[in-house]
Amino acid sequence: MEFLSIPFTVFIVITILLYYAGKGKRWQHGLLLTASIIFIGYYHLQYLLYAIGITLFTFYAGKLLHKKKEDKSASWIFVGSLAVLVGVWLTARYWSPIFPLGISFYTFQALSYLIEIYWDEEPEESLLDFTLYMMLFMKFLSGPIERGYELLPQLKKAHAFDYDKAVYGLKLIAWGAFLKLVIADRIAPSLDSVLNNVRDATGAQLMQATMLYPIQLYADFAGYTHMAIGLGMIFGFKLSPNFDRPFVSLSTGELWRRWHQSLSFWVRDYVFMPLSAETRTLGRWGIYLSILVTFVAIGVWHGAGWTFALYGVFQGIVIIYETAATKFRDNIRGTFGDHIYRPLMMIRTYILFALSLLFFRVAKISDVFYTYRHIFDGMKTNIKEMRLGMGDQDWIVFGIAVVVMFIIEYINSRHNLIAWSAKCKVWQRWTMYVVATLLIFLFGAFGVENFIYIQF
Amino acid sequence: MEKTEVLATLEKIFSEVLKCPDIKLDYSMTTKDVDGWDSITNMMIISDVEKHYGIHLKLREIIKMKNVGGLCDVIMERAE
Repeated sequence: MEFLSIPFTVFIVITILLYYAGKGKRWQHGLLLTASIIFIGYYHLQYLLYAIGITLFTFYAGKLLHKKKEDKSASWIFVGSLAVLVGVWLTARYWSPIFPLGISFYTFQALSYLIEIYWDEEPEESLLDFTLYMMLFMKFLSGPIERGYELLPQLKKAHAFDYDKAVYGLKLIAWGAFLKLVIADRIAPSLDSVLNNVRDATGAQLMQATMLYPIQLYADFAGYTHMAIGLGMIFGFKLSPNFDRPFVSLSTGELWRRWHQSLSFWVRDYVFMPLSAETRTLGRWGIYLSILVTFVAIGVWHGAGWTFALYGVFQGIVIIYETAATKFRDNIRGTFGDHIYRPLMMIRTYILFALSLLFFRVAKISDVFYTYRHIFDGMKTNIKEMRLGMGDQDWIVFGIAVVVMFIIEYINSRHNLIAWSAKCKVWQRWTMYVVATLLIFLFGAFGVENFIYIQF
Repeated sequence: MEKTEVLATLEKIFSEVLKCPDIKLDYSMTTKDVDGWDSITNMMIISDVEKHYGIHLKLREIIKMKNVGGLCDVIMERAE
């Protein structure tokens, strides 16, 4: 049941109506649990069984860990529980005949929940609330990866219908649909045609696909995240943000604080921090080692194969270099001034990210290096090849949509546009709603496959 | 040991690690308020703090620090 589908639209309308039709926490949570079970089970019964199994295991492991926290056995219970969760996740990820959707996201929620209990947090008392923390349908497939201490307190009360929040949520969903349908899905078939068969592409096509893929991936994943957060708001929940204008980053380190934040902050808190704390006696080398291991962990979180590990190694090496060469960057800043330094660093960060994403996107390592070798072979290309099978109108729509995306994100970073639009007059607001909806339906590319991150 | 003394020492350590002279800190400052103070440089700062005061902070203490004041409190507690 994809977000942008008729079955999901019917499902969500019925769920919202029933959610606010009844009163009290028990009704709302019971309904949300039923809706989540239907949502997950609709994909595959086995996905549901995995999710329920991991949820029950984590809930009772957390209780046991808390009960035994003063015992010597606490460390063993802790390590054993983490080993079981990681073991199930790895088995499902790499050796299971079917890959249970969402498992990478909710397993990471389960791991952080147990780690926090080990670090003195209280375990959740209600199995129903904990199950919702793990399986809430709008964030089940691709996150955001929530923390127990953020989401569980929100599950302690019933939510009255809040018109302003619901409208805010709908606007986020519309923005997400714009990113997904008008930008990501418009360009997806063309980039797929190049990146699925890099050896059949010309140099200019490789260059185009490499440089545009970050935008496709961003519009796809940020589009999904806006929809998930918007849906959460309609039900009265505040889910974690996942993106904060990543392409304005001046360094790869900064980019990872703005890109897939719920995953990067997760690995920062539960992988990098413990590791760098343990290795700090080694000085800078301990920190460099921790950076490398952390980014390899991010890489392999995405999937099996050396390509994902190398994707992590690439990020790690760049960030280690950035950490070691701060003085060099400061010199550039001092020599050229902020007006040149900032755009220069933004472009450099974007290009490095685009090059690293080839490991993420292309199937074989040899194809990544083939692309690197041939990316400048573009002189013989004609304009027809550079269209990548897309018509002129599609390119114009895509180009304008990307510019609109950057402008709106820029303005929104200074003035909250959604809050601003709520203050406009009724006719102005409705004009905006109608125009935005029409634009999405007119220029959206419908019928493309699901969200990219659903595979993780 | 006075908290203001600890703060003055931290300002020196922050300035050295972040390669930015004359950093001025207050107790409520977090990573968002100091340019260059992030999870990577934080561990370098912790390492220098430990060397300076001859202490060893536990992982839980490091994780639970929310701001400069939290770091000062841990140092004062452990260095006594």
